[in-house]
Amino acid sequence: MSIAKIEVKRDLCIGASPCVVAAGSVFELDAENKAIVKRQGGVSDSGPIDRAALEDQGIDDDTILMAAQSCPVKAIFLYDETGKQIYPEV
Amino acid sequence: MPLRYLIIGGGVAGTTAAETIRKNDPVGEITIVSDEPHRLYSRIMISKPHYFLGKVPAEHIWLKKESWYGEQKISLMAGKRAVRLDPDGKKVVLDDGTELGYDRLLLALGVCARRWKIPGADRKGVYYVRTLDDFRQYQPASKVARQGVVVGGGAIGFEMCEMMSLSGLETTLIIREGHYWDPVLDQTAGQMVESALENHGVRVIRGQYVTEALGDGSLTGVRTENGTEVPCRMAAVGIGGFCPHVLAEEAGIAVNWGIRTDGKMGTNRPDIWAAGDAAEYDDPIFGEPTVFGSWSNAQNHGRVAGINMSGGDETYSRVTFYAVSGFGLNIAFVGKVAPLPDRTFVSRGNPEVGYGRLVLKGNRLVGAQLINRTPEVSAITRLIETRKDISGHLDQLADAGFDLKRLP
Repeated sequence: MSIAKIEVKRDLCIGASPCVVAAGSVFELDAENKAIVKRQGGVSDSGPIDRAALEDQGIDDDTILMAAQSCPVKAIFLYDETGKQIYPEV
Repeated sequence: MPLRYLIIGGGVAGTTAAETIRKNDPVGEITIVSDEPHRLYSRIMISKPHYFLGKVPAEHIWLKKESWYGEQKISLMAGKRAVRLDPDGKKVVLDDGTELGYDRLLLALGVCARRWKIPGADRKGVYYVRTLDDFRQYQPASKVARQGVVVGGGAIGFEMCEMMSLSGLETTLIIREGHYWDPVLDQTAGQMVESALENHGVRVIRGQYVTEALGDGSLTGVRTENGTEVPCRMAAVGIGGFCPHVLAEEAGIAVNWGIRTDGKMGTNRPDIWAAGDAAEYDDPIFGEPTVFGSWSNAQNHGRVAGINMSGGDETYSRVTFYAVSGFGLNIAFVGKVAPLPDRTFVSRGNPEVGYGRLVLKGNRLVGAQLINRTPEVSAITRLIETRKDISGHLDQLADAGFDLKRLP
């Protein structure tokens, strides 16, 4: 497994914020209390965002996956290089 | 001899603890006892619009696959309740008579929904919002009920108003307080919530206890203390919770509202920890016992307890955070928001631009209640965490246009 893309589905996100706890260098909450992904250059949004565009280039797959799995409403979607959805498992 | 870890509670605190223990101890025997007949699911989803309106697949509720427990060599005893704890003999007795010995025990008991104690409370059509099985009753009921009553002015009441309203029910909210979520919300904030509800067609009855659930078997309405009758086919009751800590108390474990623990989630008895909504823990940030029901809190308690149970050393310390949204409002609670006698308050903003109430203990900020001021959560969290004397900045706290990030 290799994570190539991260997306937060805004309509699902409730701002419970365990993703921020699990991977604070990748996720933060925006003004609407929705999780967004921190991009290089400071403009963050819900994505989908390429792995290569993350502000934190040192983050490992396990931490990102753990953050996604910690979401109680499964609002964080992860995809591999081929665009296949890794999480939530389908 | 492998260590025997026993976890009472199969929610997010208990399951996260089990997962954490397994990472640190590959050979220990781990058993989870859950009084619900299910594996880990998202308790949060049962009151969220996307789930109850069926906009996401029903199976999204499951947070672990059935096979996960076997893969992790975690034994899940689902649908069993722990009824007795013997800390000297190091064993727990279940409701079916099974005795389970342990070397290390975690009590992740959660919180129970407080039940109505009025005539007619057991009628069909009276629902609580706590478990997946509750959801499986009230969700189908909401499709045919046409008229619904929500009782209780808290987070559950707010979410149930939204569920009924979005389901097309004629919805009435009945609260015993003079304004919504009193005293956690002040009057300005409470009225903001009530206006939002009323603007979406929810009728709000204030200052009234429900004295009877009417009907013949099935619910046909409720009556309040001044005789007002509200016809309805379903009632969602969200009148608070209690910690089922009798198991711990009878075993000589210190309890207050919840089960008392130190910052490492350890109780006053050796080899027994507590975590999640049921744990009343010492948090160094606040310097006072803290009990806080939230997903994130429970998850991290579970992690810390799991680390400490399997030989590690970790202290739990975090500014608590809880948010609920609906009807165009984002309501957020950061840190300690209860208006205790030793607290003072600073109001910030107004209903038009977003309203907040900051809670101070002496010269320190300890909490904030925010409505539609979510962008300030991180700055406020930092001010609480750093425990700085902010007595020189009260004017800035009260100035809704002042960027709180600029405070030192």
